[in-house]
Amino acid sequence: MHLLALLLPLSWRNLWRNPRRTLITLAVVAIGTWSVLIFAALFNALATGSRDTTLRLLTGHGQLHAAGYLEDPSVSHSMARPGPALRRALDAQPVAGWVERVRVPGIVQSEYRTRSVTLVGVVPQGERALSDVPREVIAGRYLADPADPGVVMGRDLAERLKTRIGKRVILMVQAADGHLAESGLTIVGLYAAGKPAEDEFLFTGLGTAQSLLGLGERLSEISFLVRDEAALTEVVAELRRAAPGLDVAPWMELAPLVYTIETFGRYYTIVWLLVMFTLMAIGLVNTQLMAVFERQREFGLLQALGMRPRQIVLQVVLESALLVGVGVLAGTALAAATLAPFHHGLDLGFLAPGAEIMGESRILHPALGAAESVRYGAIIWLLAVGAALWPALSAAAARPAAAMSR
Amino acid sequence: MTPIIQCRGVERTYTQGAVAVPALRGVDLTIGRGDFATLAGPSGSGKTTLLSVIGGLDRPSAGEILIEGRSIGGLDAAQLAELRLHKIGFVFQSYSLIPVLTALENVEFILRLLGVPRAERLARAREALHQVGLAGLEDRRPARLSGGQQQRVAVARALAPRPALVLADEPTANLDSANAGELIALMQDLNAASGITFLIATHDARVIAHSRRHIEMTDGRITLDESSSPAAA
Ligand SMILES: Nc1ncnc2c1ncn2[C@@H]1O[C@H](COP(=O)(O)OP(=O)(O)OP(=O)(O)O)[C@@H](O)[C@H]1O
Ligand SMILES: [Mg+2]
Repeated sequence: MHLLALLLPLSWRNLWRNPRRTLITLAVVAIGTWSVLIFAALFNALATGSRDTTLRLLTGHGQLHAAGYLEDPSVSHSMARPGPALRRALDAQPVAGWVERVRVPGIVQSEYRTRSVTLVGVVPQGERALSDVPREVIAGRYLADPADPGVVMGRDLAERLKTRIGKRVILMVQAADGHLAESGLTIVGLYAAGKPAEDEFLFTGLGTAQSLLGLGERLSEISFLVRDEAALTEVVAELRRAAPGLDVAPWMELAPLVYTIETFGRYYTIVWLLVMFTLMAIGLVNTQLMAVFERQREFGLLQALGMRPRQIVLQVVLESALLVGVGVLAGTALAAATLAPFHHGLDLGFLAPGAEIMGESRILHPALGAAESVRYGAIIWLLAVGAALWPALSAAAARPAAAMSR
Repeated sequence: MTPIIQCRGVERTYTQGAVAVPALRGVDLTIGRGDFATLAGPSGSGKTTLLSVIGGLDRPSAGEILIEGRSIGGLDAAQLAELRLHKIGFVFQSYSLIPVLTALENVEFILRLLGVPRAERLARAREALHQVGLAGLEDRRPARLSGGQQQRVAVARALAPRPALVLADEPTANLDSANAGELIALMQDLNAASGITFLIATHDARVIAHSRRHIEMTDGRITLDESSSPAAA
């Protein structure tokens, strides 16, 4: 402690002996830190944005299906409404909510065109808690109740079918008994959720779909949300125990691409961190080696005065630690200032529409938690101080006799 | 009483590429406690080298050095630093202050390494600066002190820890004669008052005139070693 009280101010003053060099190194560290943090924030936003869009469309945190449905999502793979055991598991505390659905392929026909779609029969109240679609209705209304005979379709699909709210469309599906069922339904609402979803999903009341398909009370899927994602694995296991005959899948299995993007986001951030760190370390080690070399005589003097080699190492390490510390703090502040204006989202609508294929939302929310910033900052700081050991050790290797030379 | 310095057959040969430069060729020397000795000799005769090996800044190629009866040949760099910290003060020829510290902080530095408590340390550092005639300049950094003033700070720094031995390498070389005279008088006073042993490498006739013991080196060997009564003082 005595020693730190002695060496810290000395290190700080030494840094300012060459303000230009110190400021340049400081800038390099600050910019490096800034770029790591910004990169992490953007990748986070990209990953969670794409994830949230997908999960909040229909997927939820997980789903239950009849065995075989995922390979062949047709009316033939239906399941009964949950029995008491499964219902208990679904109503348990870790599950935030769940909905029953019918979900089968079908064909929709307007006066002009025909498109293949996925018909989703929903319980509207349940969907409001689980899915973003009810909120994304931009014209007309969402479905009112399970018996609602209206349909809600994507804005894009309506355009393609050259139809609009109030018009009737014909829906053709294969019914449970194998015959082709068709029914004329009125469009009551349009939703906007990005391209692939808007084109694909057509919503009607659960009861309406069940009677069209002749399914009785049977379902295609149950989708659920958990309160805390950390508990997802546990919840899935619990549901599997409660419904041994059904297929219980977490979202990672239902949307593997989204999962991959999220996982890769972390790796990319780490790779970027390493790249930036290597650049920073080269700059830092280089300047510190130079500084130490210029001060050979001084380090000799310090040893002549009775400073032990390890204390000299400590002094040079402290100089780097202070330098990098200030740089990291500056970079973090800079990153926070950069991200602040995008607190309410960064609209990527101007980017190539191709981005939507991955199911990303157009509004990114780049943000960095305090804990994460501290973690990245600490990693950079520790690595840099480690790298600075090299110049520091070379300072201690200075011959004390150098102090005697003129 | 054990002499403070004993050199037995000390040799030091520098190698410059393939050329061996013998700087010390077998030095036998004993300096007693409280001595005030000067070391003279032509340039290149090995004065600086001898002070370096005595202070453990450099290691002899052969021979043995004992400080207060203890051989320093087996000590590692940290132990040598420790020995210097507790026993030996250095005054170098050219300015050897820590540039980012004030005069007072420079003097305090060794006291802090020694762990002297703050109040005592400040008092001793101020007193040492006062002794060298620098009272009032405590807060100046070296860049704002003249060469003579800097050299006096270096002397104050060497003396404040009350070492047993001060090794000075041409301490007056960069001083005008008035400053040099003051510095010599100061070192003599300290020698007389606190019994600190001085070994001073110098060409300066005024310094030599005040020594109680005068040693001369030529070509890495001691060629003259005479003691005189301190009549001149
Ligand atoms: N680091 C070194 N590398 C090689 N040779 C050296 C080194 N230091 C000193 N020498 C040589 O050793 C010899 C003694 O040098 P030293 O500096 O001890 O002499 P000196 O008596 O102090 O001279 P001066 O009066 O000029 O200070 C000289 O020949 C010198 O060139
Ligand atoms: Mg010399």
